[in-house]
Amino acid sequence: MELAFSAEDNAFRDEVRTWLVEHAPLERRPRRGVAMREFDLNWQRLQFEAGWAGIAWPVEYGGRGLPLTQQLIWYEEYAKLGMKAIDTRFVGLSHAGPTLIARASPEQQADHLPHILRGDVVWCQGFSEPEAGSDLASLRTRAELDGDELVVTGQKIWTSYAHLADWQELLVRTDPGLPKHKGITWVICDMRSPGIDVRPIHTMDNGEDFCEVFYDEVRIPLANVVGGINNGWSVAMSTLSFERGTAFTIDQVQLSSTVERLIDLARDRSLLGDDEIAHSLARARADVAALRALTYLGISRNLRSPEPGPEGSMLKLQWADLNKRIMRLAVEILGATSLAYNEEGEDIWSELFLLSYGISIGGGTSEIQRNIIAERVLGLPR
Amino acid sequence: MDLLPTPEQEEIISSAAAFLADALPPQRTRELIDEPSNVDPKAWLAAADLGWFALGLRSDLGGVGCGLADEVLLFREIGRSLAGGPFLATTLAARVAAFGGDAQLGHEIGAGRQVGFGVLGPGGTLDPGGIAGTVHMVDGHDADLVLVATHKRAGLFAPADLGDLVALECIDPTARLARATTTGAAPLVAVGADVDPVGLRGTVLVAAQLTGIAEATAALSAEHAKNRIQFGRPIGVNQAVKHPCADMAVRAELAWAQVAVGALATDEARADAELQGLSAFVVAADAAERNAAATVQVLGGMGFTFEHDANLYVKRAFLLTQLLGSVRLALSRLVLLPGPL
Repeated sequence: MELAFSAEDNAFRDEVRTWLVEHAPLERRPRRGVAMREFDLNWQRLQFEAGWAGIAWPVEYGGRGLPLTQQLIWYEEYAKLGMKAIDTRFVGLSHAGPTLIARASPEQQADHLPHILRGDVVWCQGFSEPEAGSDLASLRTRAELDGDELVVTGQKIWTSYAHLADWQELLVRTDPGLPKHKGITWVICDMRSPGIDVRPIHTMDNGEDFCEVFYDEVRIPLANVVGGINNGWSVAMSTLSFERGTAFTIDQVQLSSTVERLIDLARDRSLLGDDEIAHSLARARADVAALRALTYLGISRNLRSPEPGPEGSMLKLQWADLNKRIMRLAVEILGATSLAYNEEGEDIWSELFLLSYGISIGGGTSEIQRNIIAERVLGLPR
Repeated sequence: MDLLPTPEQEEIISSAAAFLADALPPQRTRELIDEPSNVDPKAWLAAADLGWFALGLRSDLGGVGCGLADEVLLFREIGRSLAGGPFLATTLAARVAAFGGDAQLGHEIGAGRQVGFGVLGPGGTLDPGGIAGTVHMVDGHDADLVLVATHKRAGLFAPADLGDLVALECIDPTARLARATTTGAAPLVAVGADVDPVGLRGTVLVAAQLTGIAEATAALSAEHAKNRIQFGRPIGVNQAVKHPCADMAVRAELAWAQVAVGALATDEARADAELQGLSAFVVAADAAERNAAATVQVLGGMGFTFEHDANLYVKRAFLLTQLLGSVRLALSRLVLLPGPL
């Protein structure tokens, strides 16, 4: 067991830190629309040109092929900038991209992976439906085979950035006659196809990133099917286990910086003499330390065996609970100041507080994470 | 960075687990409840022969030369096994003697001379001159030495110097308890945290033991949830049982990860070692207490009996959280430290 990073890793960290400090766009990120998309993609382009795109992606797919420890170091240094971790690039870089690497054909990989890394495109996810949330496999969006095309009709929901996306990783039902996990197909959908209607959903944090997507006889070439017709469930599961593994590392590391900022805030306001606040902050400090330790343990396991381990769901569950508790503590420390919803200002605690309610729902609810841990890790009956 | 045990460390884990299962299984720990001392002399000397009490002590000071990261592997197994006896006080005392300049005493303690754990009561003080206040002595029934440690310093005292020792029944029946009040007693040997952070090491080792308890109780609950049939199905199909089992597993996993980081931060003399060590204690105390409590609940009536081990885990977890100052005191210090690296 060893906590210290290797000399090589430390040199890499110095290089990352120097570059990020010099190049990260510190002006405020536009909160919505095309301006937000362009901000994110410009930032990705800057990283790509400097050779920082796809640090842990294999070299043959345009990545650097570096070990997960160096990906972690990039995340840690990135988190210190205080920039938003999950932006319009997230699905492409952390979801669709890794799935394409794992399951797509060489042609599909060549068509899409370079554009994701270069910051040319935004991807979104078409998984959940009004009647298929936690029970994802009961999805009903229908795809009929017609010549060399799929004709898609149905509805998706909770699709972040659908209104700004070029491509979508879409799950459709290709064979309603098969058992529900068997008749699903994972397909690449061009968001500019005729028959797609995107409607934004206003969320409780005043966001407009969420959308409903309607499909009315949308034609998708069969060449866009990834992993074969009716094989989409196993393709989707490789994406989701990735999401529960390392994809949220930036947020976990950022939570540690958040607690440190809150301790500073409380000290400035002479609140550390209040035992309840002081102890809540201390407990938050201990809990984010343990969350980071579990991230490290997960990466240690990953270096020996590439399959994501049980810590994926554990990290997601704990991060969501902890985030909620810490953001509640933040608005408690700010008191009446946090009544002002100042989305353009420096202090966005009120926004983060409201956003925290969604974190225990998105990417698999906390209840589903507990089921996964109990059934797949502990072996409890379903 | 690698938080997984090396093959040598795997060997520490498996040999400790095998020794405890053979020499000090819960059944033996229960037999010792009715004996004057909770120490099995044969098992104790065998543990000393295995180098347990000097495992983390430098070899030039007569120790085995391993790190705190190796010691936490051992103490996690002790916690899991429910074995009673002054393992922690004896291990820390060997360091106080060795770093305090009494090599002979260090050697004797390493060879199995027992040391009790002196818990300083509220308002009690331990300064370079000595100790004052009420001391609860945990374990070390036959011991002629008692260890008292804070985050600033640690000292070894003669129990006779602390005044009249009154024997008490301990909330944990597998432990022994006595109390004395002194207006001032000088240490036989002492060491400051700047020379060796005995208190911090003890805090991390307590956290390791608490983690063993958190893991053992999580496993007991999951096993029961799978096997206990009610309404024609295992009770673990119900989310009211299933989700607490998942939460127990998460708490145990987080506790172990942070104990590993806490131990390594001390071994590697990192600037944030105290923050990481105190965090390990806070997280592991929460995991052990809540997992043990939830296990009593998951096991229902059986969990409330003395015959089942669940209650012994509840009691041991509480005892451990009191040895080096409460969680509340740890939190008060933790918030004032400089931030993590």
